[in-house]
Amino acid sequence: MSLRIKTRFGILRIERRLSYTRMFSAAMSILSIALAFAVVGIILVIMGLDPIRAFSLIFGVYVKPPLLLESIKQSIPICLSALGLGIAFKMNFWNIGAEGQLYMGMIASTGIVLLHEYYGFFQGWMLLPLMLASSFILGGAWCLITGFLKAKLSVNEILPTLMLNYVAILVVDFLVHGPWRDPKGYGFPLSIEFPSYAKLTLIYGSSAYTGLLLSIAAAAAVFVLMEYTRPGFEIKVVGQSVNVARYAGISVSGVIMLGSFLSGGLAGVGGLSIVSGIIGRLRPGASPGYGYTAIIVASLAGLNPWLIVVTSIFFGGLLTAGGALQMNMGIPGSATQMIEAIIFLLILVGEFLKRYRLILERGVRD
Amino acid sequence: MIEWIESVLRLTIQVGTIYLLASLGEIYAERSGILNLGLEGIMIMGAALSFIFTLAYGHLAAILISIIVGVLMSLILAVMSVHMRLNQVVTGLALTMLGLGLSGFIASPEIRRGILLTLNPSLPENLLTTQEAPKLPEAPIPLLSEIPILGGSFFNQNVLVYVSYVAAPLMWFILFKTRFGLSLRSVGENPAAADALGVNVYLVRYLATMISGGFAGLAGAYLFLGFQPFWQEGLTAGKGFIALSLVILSTWNPLRAILGAYLFGGVETLQYRLQLFGLGAQSPYILAMLPYLVAIITLVLISYENIRKRIGVPASLGIPYSREE
Repeated sequence: MSLRIKTRFGILRIERRLSYTRMFSAAMSILSIALAFAVVGIILVIMGLDPIRAFSLIFGVYVKPPLLLESIKQSIPICLSALGLGIAFKMNFWNIGAEGQLYMGMIASTGIVLLHEYYGFFQGWMLLPLMLASSFILGGAWCLITGFLKAKLSVNEILPTLMLNYVAILVVDFLVHGPWRDPKGYGFPLSIEFPSYAKLTLIYGSSAYTGLLLSIAAAAAVFVLMEYTRPGFEIKVVGQSVNVARYAGISVSGVIMLGSFLSGGLAGVGGLSIVSGIIGRLRPGASPGYGYTAIIVASLAGLNPWLIVVTSIFFGGLLTAGGALQMNMGIPGSATQMIEAIIFLLILVGEFLKRYRLILERGVRD
Repeated sequence: MIEWIESVLRLTIQVGTIYLLASLGEIYAERSGILNLGLEGIMIMGAALSFIFTLAYGHLAAILISIIVGVLMSLILAVMSVHMRLNQVVTGLALTMLGLGLSGFIASPEIRRGILLTLNPSLPENLLTTQEAPKLPEAPIPLLSEIPILGGSFFNQNVLVYVSYVAAPLMWFILFKTRFGLSLRSVGENPAAADALGVNVYLVRYLATMISGGFAGLAGAYLFLGFQPFWQEGLTAGKGFIALSLVILSTWNPLRAILGAYLFGGVETLQYRLQLFGLGAQSPYILAMLPYLVAIITLVLISYENIRKRIGVPASLGIPYSREE
C-alpha cells in the first residue's frame, strides 16, 4: 500500500520508483540547481535587486579565466573535506565536523612553518611534505576523538563533531591572538606570512594548479581505497549494517576509528590548502564555512569521488561570485550562504523525487 | 557576598532560559521521532527577525513573528522528513544553513534598510542604521522579588523568563499526563502500534515538529531581546546545538531540562565571571570553549548512563514511518 493524500483534485499517491537511470538522476540534480536559482531570483526581486545582473555575475565566474582559477582555488578545501565526508557517510558516520578538522589542519601546517621560521627546524624543501603529513594527522585526530567516543562508548557522533568545530575555531583564535601572532604585524591577529616554498604555488605561480592536482590525487586515492581495498570494503559493510559486519568478523569499532581518522585527515589537508594555497598565513575565520559547503557537495555528488571534484568547482565558483556580487551590486556576503542552503534543500527534494513519484488520480474519491 | 551570589544566579537563569526555551520544543519533536537539527537556524532567524521587527513595530510583534517563522521553518522540515522520508540529519542541517544564510542576509545593513522602510516608512534615520534594539524591560514581580537572593535572581527578570517558568511544567504535564502527550510518546516509540490504535502518526509528528519550531523561534527572540540586543552575524554561535545536547542530557523530560539548562547557564556565567577576575584575560578564547566541552562531556556521561539503564532514547527517533514497510 502506498501513501495517499486526499486533495480537492483527487487522490495524490506517492509511489516508490523501482529503478531509475543515471541520466534521470543527473537531470534531477541539474533541475534542483536550476529551481534553486529561480527561488533566489524571486528573493532578489522582492528585495528590489536585479536578478539578471546577479546571475550574469555568478555564471560569468566560470568563463573568465582569472575568476575560474580563483574558483578552483576556493574549491580545493571544499573538495578535500567532501572526499573525507564521503568516506564517513559511506560508513554511516555523520561527520558534521569537517569545518573544525579544516581548522586543525591549518594549525598543523602553520605550526610546521613557525617551527622552521622561528627555530630553524627542517630545511625549506621539507616543509610542504611535513605540512601535508601533519595536517592529515591532526585533522584525522580531531575527528578520531568522536570516532573513539562512538566506537568505544557508543556516543552519537552528530553533536560531538559539531561542538568540536566551535572548539577548533576558538583554538585558532587563541593562537593568532596570543603565541602565534606576528610580532611585526602591528598587533593584528595574524600569523607571519608563509615563505614562498611553503605555499602551494609550485606550478605556474598559482595555487589553483597544484591544488587541483592535490584534489584529483586525493579523489583517486579515495576511489581506490573504497573500491579495491579491504578497509574500504569493510567501511562500506559497516555503513550498510553493523550486524552484518559483526557477523562477518569485521572489527566494527576498529573500522569506525580508521574511517573517522581518514575522513578528518582529508579535511585536515583541506586546511593546509587554505593557509598555504589561499591566504598564505593563519588568521581567525580563515574558512568561510568550506566544511559545511562540503556536506552539500558530498550529497549532491552522491559520494562519488570524481563527481565531488567537479561539484566542488561549481561551489568554489559560487564563493568567488559572492565577492563579485558584494562589490558590484552591494549584495551582502551571506547571500552566498543563502543560495547554497536553498540549493541544498532543493537537492534533497530532488532526492525524494528520484526515489518516489507522485501520481494524481483524478476523480477518484474514497 | 549576597549581592554577588544574587548576580551570578541571575545571570545563570538569563543564559539558561535560552537553552530551556529551545530544548522544551525539541523534546516534543524528538519524543515524536523527529530530530530537528534545524534548531540553530530557526533560533538565529528568530533573533534576526526580533531585531528587525522590534525596530519597526515593537517587542510584541517581534516575538510573535519569530514564533510564526519558527513554526513555518519547522514545517519545511516536517514535510521533508515525514512525507518525503528524507534523512533528518541532512534535512535539519540544510535548514540550519538556510537560517544562518537568510538571517545574515536580511539583517545586513544594505538589505535591512529596505525591509525596515517597507515595514514602517516613518522610521527615523538613526533606527535604520543602528545595530541595536531596545532590550526587553525587566518586570519585577511584586512581593516575590523582595525575597532575599532568590527574589532578585528569579523574580526580577523579563517576561520571557517567566514564560519559561510556566512553560516547562506545563510542557511536562501535557507530555506525561494528557492523551495528546501519550499519543506523541507512542508515535516516537512504536509508530506502527500507535497507528494501529488509531493515532494519526503523520499529524502528531507534524504538530510536534511545529511546536519545536515555535519554541526555537521564541528562544531566538529571547536570546536577542532579553539577553544580547545587538546584532552580529552568527550570533547564536552553536547555542542551538548545545540545546540539542541538553535534550539528550534531560533524557527527553521537560522538568529535567530545567536543571540542564541552568547547568549550561551556570557554565557560561562562570566563564564571564572568571574573565572578570582576570583569569584568562590573555585567553578569553580558552574559557569560551567551556560550554562546548561540557556539552561533549555530558553526552559521553549520558550515553554511558543510557547503556547502563537502557532508558531514554525514543525508539523511532530519526526513522521515517510509512505504512507500506
